[in-house]
Amino acid sequence: METQGLQMTESKASPGLFKRNPPIAGEAEAIERAKAGDAEAFSKLYALHKRRVYTLCLRMLGNVSEAEDMTQEAFLHLFRKIGSFRGESAFSTWLHRLTVNLVLMHLRKKGLQLVSLEETINPSEEDAPKRDFGSRDVQLSGSVDRVALERAVASLPPGYRMVFVLHDVEGFEHNEIATMLECSTGNSKSQLHKARLKLRELLRQPEPATQADLKEAAL
Amino acid sequence: MTTQKFNSDSSAPLSCAEFQERLPDLFAAGSENLTDDPALLDHLKTCENCSALVRDLQYIADQARQLLEPTHEPSDDVWTKIKESLASEPPLTPETGNT
Repeated sequence: METQGLQMTESKASPGLFKRNPPIAGEAEAIERAKAGDAEAFSKLYALHKRRVYTLCLRMLGNVSEAEDMTQEAFLHLFRKIGSFRGESAFSTWLHRLTVNLVLMHLRKKGLQLVSLEETINPSEEDAPKRDFGSRDVQLSGSVDRVALERAVASLPPGYRMVFVLHDVEGFEHNEIATMLECSTGNSKSQLHKARLKLRELLRQPEPATQADLKEAAL
Repeated sequence: MTTQKFNSDSSAPLSCAEFQERLPDLFAAGSENLTDDPALLDHLKTCENCSALVRDLQYIADQARQLLEPTHEPSDDVWTKIKESLASEPPLTPETGNT
């Protein structure tokens, strides 16, 4: 895959990212060995990070096959460029930034490259969250489990999902997201707010009753 | 619930629309307390709807952190393909990592 244009500069991570990505036992040693071309060290680094990289790809792409391809590309790119990792940020932060950039390049190649992402990530009217000036409803606090949240995030319009995953899940700052998505910081803030509003709307909707529920209710 | 019209008088209470327009920046500021602005705090105290909205949005942002823990695993094919690709490439030069 063509990866010219992919920036591998190691910017200083925000304190939040260090907190979210604490060092992993055995990682530093594996990195040094991998820099010297040790194949077992590559295998160790893959085992340590494959799930988070794949989960990130899957959330951003929503497609197993593409997520696996991007996971493969991310690790290949990592192994080719690992010599340029100087340890100024957490390794996982560096790897995640690399992965996000690869996925964004992939998405642009698929059709977003000719138009500013800022425009294309805006969802259609029917997908947009409604302003909340009136309706009182049940509170969400304490009522949302991981599965429900995961499902709601997956059903967000792509632009909202991207900013929500990068900011609220991965912990990137708005200025970093703005650079990655080639949009303004204000646009990133606004998209995130709309994403959370949309999630609130989705999470307050009652779950559709299953056949089993209906049978039980009929008894 | 408070009025929904934008007010032009700075001493008048904030409307829900005015309050909600400020929310993206307030959340982005990232402080533990959403705001110290008396006008916004007054609105939060008196508007049940907006205070519920703020609570829910903070709750969603907090819950999002639990998604950082990965739940999905790539198939074994991914590592097989990576190994095959690496095997077909020249070895890395130590230190630079570049070939």
